[in-house]
Amino acid sequence: MEVYNDYFGQFGGRYVAENLRGPLDQLEIHFRNAMSDSDFLKEISDFGKEYIGRPTPLLFAENASRAMGGGDIYIKLEGLANTGAHKINNAAGQAILAKKMGKTRIIAETGAGQHGVATAAVCARLGLKCRIYMGSEDIKRQRPNVFLMEMFGAEVFPVDSGSRTLKDAVNEALRDWASTSDETHYLIGSALGPSPYPDMVREFQSVIGKEVLMEGEKRSLNVKAMVACVGGGSNAIGFFEPFIENETPRLIGAEAGGLGPEEGKHAARMTGKGKTGIIQGYKSKFLYDKDGQIVKTHSISAGLDYPGIGPQLAYLGTTGRVEFTEVNDEEALEALRFFALNEGIIFALESAHAGAAGLKIASEYSPGEAVIINMSGRGDKDIFITAKALQKDKWFEFLNEETANG
Amino acid sequence: MAKKKLMTHLVAGYPTLEESEKIALAMVSGGSAYLEIQFPFSDPIADGPLIQGACTEAISSGFTQDQGFSLIERLAEKTDVPLFIMTYANLVMAMGIQSFVQRSKDSGAAGLIIPDLPYDYDEGLYKICSEMNMPVIPVLVQGIADDRLDKILKLEPEYIYAAIRKGITGQKSSIDKSTIDFLDKISRSGIKVLAGFGIRERDQVNLLSPHIHSSVIGSALVEIIKNSIESEEDCSENVRKFVLDLSGSC
Repeated sequence: MEVYNDYFGQFGGRYVAENLRGPLDQLEIHFRNAMSDSDFLKEISDFGKEYIGRPTPLLFAENASRAMGGGDIYIKLEGLANTGAHKINNAAGQAILAKKMGKTRIIAETGAGQHGVATAAVCARLGLKCRIYMGSEDIKRQRPNVFLMEMFGAEVFPVDSGSRTLKDAVNEALRDWASTSDETHYLIGSALGPSPYPDMVREFQSVIGKEVLMEGEKRSLNVKAMVACVGGGSNAIGFFEPFIENETPRLIGAEAGGLGPEEGKHAARMTGKGKTGIIQGYKSKFLYDKDGQIVKTHSISAGLDYPGIGPQLAYLGTTGRVEFTEVNDEEALEALRFFALNEGIIFALESAHAGAAGLKIASEYSPGEAVIINMSGRGDKDIFITAKALQKDKWFEFLNEETANG
Repeated sequence: MAKKKLMTHLVAGYPTLEESEKIALAMVSGGSAYLEIQFPFSDPIADGPLIQGACTEAISSGFTQDQGFSLIERLAEKTDVPLFIMTYANLVMAMGIQSFVQRSKDSGAAGLIIPDLPYDYDEGLYKICSEMNMPVIPVLVQGIADDRLDKILKLEPEYIYAAIRKGITGQKSSIDKSTIDFLDKISRSGIKVLAGFGIRERDQVNLLSPHIHSSVIGSALVEIIKNSIESEEDCSENVRKFVLDLSGSC
């Protein structure tokens, strides 16, 4: 597909006040030029091999497949990338581009902290100043990631406005950028926001899908379906990218069903509850009330707990090319346990939503037909949430012990 | 000294709906020539933390668009000062552009300021407003590319809102020659320039006024309201005095 699209059907666009318009127009020009510059592309590819650990493996989950008795389940182990998730592909691409543009400072938003950690790491590696905006609520919930970002020399800036979570961190980063864009690049972590971000993030994440395509061909897999979790949607759009313009395989996005269908209990935008809106600079499907105000969302996984979805995925959902399904908190935890026991792999809670959906889909197929799940991140980061959910007493005993000894 | 034209800003529903009506009328009695009435949105990316804070409070105490329009209606009955509605795209989208413009018109608003619907990503706002005879006020920023500025001037809007500092509302702006040149260029086109972002002192108003139609006072007023609430003083009276002083009406 085209490197730069701006709109995807009716979704996308650059709906920003004039103060952000100049920086975005500039970024578009540099991005388009860079994507046809072979030196730039080689630098990204080398960085991927040497620092990120690419290509990441494609695992045949033989035990899981046998246990389910349906199609062959494969797992793209994207969580083995340096810093533990796919986020670093985009962080590296944008940071290298920013350096090429002569920028010396990077700002980014983070919710759970994965994008913040990836950005801080890349900035340390590339010698760029780095500030991460993070809601003060999220800082409380994600202390280990704050620690890592600070280890990498980044400044973690608490955001106290609005709901003090991811969307507010985005607002604050946009404000910073509006007055500092001469020396600063705003490194958005998901395939959303005003153009050219959705295009740019997809391109930098498409390495995931390209590796799957190549590996699938090498092993002559009969791929029937590919499954990814969708918060903003950066892992999904990158994983799907080489297949979007084909009619097969089926592409499936798993959204956070949270605790149930009531308002505020989930973050499912594509399965009937989201409405077309314009928020944070782009037109897409969002969860908002009758007056246009963003509503609260919930998911056990912080990375899926966001009221909007990338515009290209919103478009592909309306055309039917990407099917959307909901996975609730309980099902995600169940999938986490299942893959740990059967394959020795700990999914990130976000990716466990894809895991759960993938297990369901696989049951529709037979051996010899492949279903590929993108494990966008590994689950080490979630230990404070998963251990509490799965082994509450022992975990609290440990924490109390640690505190007492500290 | 001659009276200076001011457009003063308030957040509808902040601190309460009733108080915001009193504050609006206090601004008029202090000498405001225009009122910019912001319908609060949960994610106001072109505003600074002060105004966002006021918006968050107004929403959590139950602000609705219906209340916003009824506020405009009541104010339109009580004053002849033009009332501009400022808000963000999603409030307009939620209601539908046509309905939003119609309700603005019915309630007596004199214009719309929607910073995240610029002329080239406007969802048809400019066309609909022109058909319905409702002015849209484009928001420009100092440093805007020349070709964009020219395109906006060609639209021949009645008013242009010019932000004289890059970035977001809430900090004091310094006004130098490049600012004045920028404002003069727009004013020469005959379009009425409303210039704001970081205006909070009489010196700034005096310096700007020969070059523009009206100064815009935003965050400074929200700050006065916030401080008045905290020190349990009369918000409206403090607002009136501040506006009176800036406009030179006293």
